Amino acid sequence: MSQKNQPTKQAGGAAAPPENAAGSGAVSAGPGGKRGNKPKGPSLFGLLKPYRGLVLLLIALSFVSNGINLWIPKIIAEGIDSFTGAKLDTHYIIWKFLAAAIGVFVFTWGTTFLQTYASERVARDLRTRLADRISRQNYTFLQKTNPSQLLTNLTSDVDSIKMFVSQAVVSIFSSIFVIIGASTLLLFIQWQLALAVIAIIPIIGITFYIVLKKVRALFKTSREIIDWLNKVINESILGAALIRVIHSQNLEYVKFLEANAKALGLGQRILQLFASLIPVIIFTANMATLTILALGGHFVITGHMSLGNFSAFNNYLTLLIFPILVIGFMSNVIAQASASYMRISGVLNAPDPVETGTITKDLRGKIELKDVTLSYGEKRVLSDISFTVAPGSKTAIIGPTAAGKTQLLYLLTALNHPDSGSIELDGHPLDNYKKEDFHRQVGFVFQDSIMFNMSIRENIAFSDTVTDESLARAIETAELKDFIDALPDGLNTVVSERGMSLSGGQKQRIMLARALAIQPRILLLDDFTARVDSQTEQKILANVRQNYPGITLLSVTQKIASIEDYEQIILLMESEMIASGTHSHLMATCPEYVQIYQSQRSTSHYEQHELQS
Amino acid sequence: MSSTNYNLNIVTDEQKKTSTWPALRKLIDLLPDQKGRLYLALVIMIIYAILTMVAPIIVGSTINNYILNKTHQDYSGIIRNCGWLLLIFSLNLGAVYFRTILMGGFGQRLLFSLRNAIFNKLQELPVAFFSQNKAGDLISRVNNDTDKINQFFSQSLMQFISSLFIIGGAGIFLLVINWKLGLATLAPSVLMWVFAKFVSPWVKKKNAASLKSTGAMSGEIQESLGNFKVVLAFNRRDYFRQRFSEANTDNYTTSIGAGIANQVYTPVFGFFASMGQLVVLTYGIYLITIGQFTAGFLISFFMYVNNFYDPLRQMAALWANFQLAIASWDRISKILSMESDLVTLPDDSLAAVGATGDARAPALLEFRDVSFRYPDGKNVLFNNSFRMEKGKTYALVGPTGGGKTTTASLIARLYDPTEGKILLGGRDIRTYTPAERTKKIGFILQEPFLFTGTVKENILYGNEEYKDFSDEDLHTVLEQSGLETLLTRFDEGLATKIVSAGDGISLGQKQLIAFIRAVLRNPELLILDEATANIDTVTEKMLEEILRRLPETTTRVIIAHRLNTIENADEIFFVNGGEITRAGSLDQAVDMLLQGKRVS
Repeated sequence: MSQKNQPTKQAGGAAAPPENAAGSGAVSAGPGGKRGNKPKGPSLFGLLKPYRGLVLLLIALSFVSNGINLWIPKIIAEGIDSFTGAKLDTHYIIWKFLAAAIGVFVFTWGTTFLQTYASERVARDLRTRLADRISRQNYTFLQKTNPSQLLTNLTSDVDSIKMFVSQAVVSIFSSIFVIIGASTLLLFIQWQLALAVIAIIPIIGITFYIVLKKVRALFKTSREIIDWLNKVINESILGAALIRVIHSQNLEYVKFLEANAKALGLGQRILQLFASLIPVIIFTANMATLTILALGGHFVITGHMSLGNFSAFNNYLTLLIFPILVIGFMSNVIAQASASYMRISGVLNAPDPVETGTITKDLRGKIELKDVTLSYGEKRVLSDISFTVAPGSKTAIIGPTAAGKTQLLYLLTALNHPDSGSIELDGHPLDNYKKEDFHRQVGFVFQDSIMFNMSIRENIAFSDTVTDESLARAIETAELKDFIDALPDGLNTVVSERGMSLSGGQKQRIMLARALAIQPRILLLDDFTARVDSQTEQKILANVRQNYPGITLLSVTQKIASIEDYEQIILLMESEMIASGTHSHLMATCPEYVQIYQSQRSTSHYEQHELQS
Repeated sequence: MSSTNYNLNIVTDEQKKTSTWPALRKLIDLLPDQKGRLYLALVIMIIYAILTMVAPIIVGSTINNYILNKTHQDYSGIIRNCGWLLLIFSLNLGAVYFRTILMGGFGQRLLFSLRNAIFNKLQELPVAFFSQNKAGDLISRVNNDTDKINQFFSQSLMQFISSLFIIGGAGIFLLVINWKLGLATLAPSVLMWVFAKFVSPWVKKKNAASLKSTGAMSGEIQESLGNFKVVLAFNRRDYFRQRFSEANTDNYTTSIGAGIANQVYTPVFGFFASMGQLVVLTYGIYLITIGQFTAGFLISFFMYVNNFYDPLRQMAALWANFQLAIASWDRISKILSMESDLVTLPDDSLAAVGATGDARAPALLEFRDVSFRYPDGKNVLFNNSFRMEKGKTYALVGPTGGGKTTTASLIARLYDPTEGKILLGGRDIRTYTPAERTKKIGFILQEPFLFTGTVKENILYGNEEYKDFSDEDLHTVLEQSGLETLLTRFDEGLATKIVSAGDGISLGQKQLIAFIRAVLRNPELLILDEATANIDTVTEKMLEEILRRLPETTTRVIIAHRLNTIENADEIFFVNGGEITRAGSLDQAVDMLLQGKRVS
């Protein structure tokens, strides 16, 4: 009888404010409880709080349509009995029946319409809230949660909550309503037979409960396998070029096949469970038909029941079975939705980064680092870095692969925060600057090309502070004018995703123009020269000097030739700062620097040659 | 040739119309070996339907013969018939079980084959396909749309087909018991059919629109999140919100449209089902009064009406599911209908190639009057001819956007030239199978790509020769080729973990892995497309040393901006404005770089 208790408990919760009581009751899926970890999670029904009116209206509508539905077998019974009683009032019954049918039609339609509307609205609002929350987070958060998980949150997780709103909420309430309603009506018609028929509810309920409990565990595994499958697909799409160069399609296929075969095996195991469940349900329901015939027939013969009511029993039986199944399936939907909501809540409840900054004044460009340390997990990325950059000066950061150069720039753009040590701008800690005003004055050219699928104009004038004049100056400085003018659509040419139609150097220059367009006081270049030829590079740097006087330049680079005249060169190696000073100072004091210099020396006369031109 | 349109969102005419049944046929054709299983399942479903149909007859006749028959009410007759019913229900139990196993198994296998087919197709398609479609949209198609089909197969298909049989059986019994009443009862279902016929295309259209906007939204999210650091550094959090909000609103509107369309069947079908009951009630009672029908069969009739209309009503819900699956299938079949334009030609073109009067021995690689144009009409290369010999080092220099990467991509046959020919070892490159070609040509791409896994897995990726090597053996191999030292750049050497999308390792490290990966494959022709651009010059010296130690016959093609990387080249090509010119010496190349007017 335990299963029978559960719905009534839920119904009790529903009568009370639906937010909390019903939520936890439904989530922990009944007596015996699954794992006791659910109550800690945020309540799914709590999510519906702002839509209370809508949900209540929805439930009310479904009650009405189900109520009328329950009435229909009674009308039929009445018809049969009035016929056997030989005082047939056909017209009256037809009108009653027609009214009921139209009523069901109107209210069902209303319910489904409202269901769609409510679920889509909840989904849309949830997505907006998520996106809003994500958009306020900092880079560290994004790295920690990783974009593909956020993509899942915004798409499939929201979808399963949508499913919950559109199907589970109404179904559960109306199913309970129908079960109670039909049982009550049966009890009123003939209580002995009714009890025999109602006995099928716990039998079906318990079988369902046992099987679904097993299925749910498999569903969880199946979700993991689907994630795995998707990962293989995603990597095969993103790495398409490499796969074709190596001709490793077969290898990818093997990887995929492994995951796909697992998915097939799991699907078949779930199927096995259902294959044992469905016959039991149908058989039990059939046994109820049998009982009605045997016992009901007896009652009709002995005159304890009319033939109409005998027929009504059969009709109510059909009405009764479906809701039991629905509740079972919906408990799955709810379980999935609460798992999804749990994941989403993790994002929604992540604390907003607090805006500590108040300073809004213009930067002069002095940068000072003191004992800055940064770790990435257990790995030291930067250890005790200290240096000062004078306003308007040029500083280069040089060093081998994975020395921590890019991470250092991330710290300076406030994308990351140091574990210890301080970063000061014009004598004030970086955190004291208002983010908005800070970013407005610091231009960052990233190492990896980041293009948006929009026009070149929008890609360059990405910040909203860009004027036509500053846009034109940035384009000119980045030596992009000829290139853009040659395009049929000019600035309005749309760049494809990942910038496939542009060359590496063009992307790099567009990114430079993007950074320059905000007219920054500080310009951070991350390996800008890597994909731009020396001639263009020299021209561009000369342009920067001319068009943006007084700009503080901090450049991560590999080429010594182009930084020999810089005021300061910082040498990073394996997270540590080995040396700093001018070119000549380092040449005289730092053997590592000399080694790097030597590695480029053989061709440096060409680079020199270019410099002078 | 290379101007093939691969954009999935540009619908070509012949793909525009896919009606429901041919689409379904195509789907089932994926599984020729499963047809026997399918037929067996169908037979069992028919048995199940018959068994289900017999029960109401027994109930009806029991009522007629033993309950309503006032003259000889016989309770033992009821019990006897109950015994028959029990037998039927027990047989039914078995039928239901096997129906579920067989039909569900078929669905699972179909899904398995469908996923395989899509993945296979994705692997067949050329690079151009991937550059013309948004990765987010593709991923949405493959993941989300397959999942929609999955839901249909795992949840609805069996019920769907089983319902069809029950409906058919119930319909037949209704007609057999009393054809007049049967016809009248079935009349509303004709209206249902007409309704479904008219409404379904609209429902499908709405679903297609909704799926499309879902794809667009996931593409939008993918892009914004991938580029999040730019969004932050340029103070455009509002950009993310705004772009997302547009996609979200669009998705909301189309989803509501699809939702309402999908829900249209349920109330209408429910209403028609009620009409069926009404007909039985009024007309049935009328027939009884004029003596053409019995009360017992009236109750059987009600059971059949339920058997007929209930599955129909359930099918209403499933039908929407079905339309959604079909809309998804449409989107997927668009991928499946794409054909690679990079076909392998038969080898007999050899003769034609030789007949050009070129007396020299075939070069390792030769361009003959090669031009290339992207599908968007952008001309990249004009009429270029050159040769590359075995064992030499070639450098491609020139301003950005001059066509260097395109030249390299043509050598690796990521694209085919729009005009002209490329010969590899004197043979048209198109006559090589991909396996032969990729064994000969190594290409380190400008944008390194790593798979989730370890450094070892990544450097041995696709490597037939070393794939089963233990760590020690691999270390020996790496040492011999001088690659060992590069591993010190990774904290845990070969075992260092890599997350594909993650920022855990630097661009320079990624390039190192791509370099090791390509060198270990030991190709005859190795192309480095700015492959070391983000690697420091000291390490780069080591890479040069490694390249120098490659077998004497290996040809190297190096694209670089840093002149020191190309100073040892035997020959330098200057690539600019779609023309590939030979520069005599490094000095001359530098001159060209300085004087050459950039056309890009």
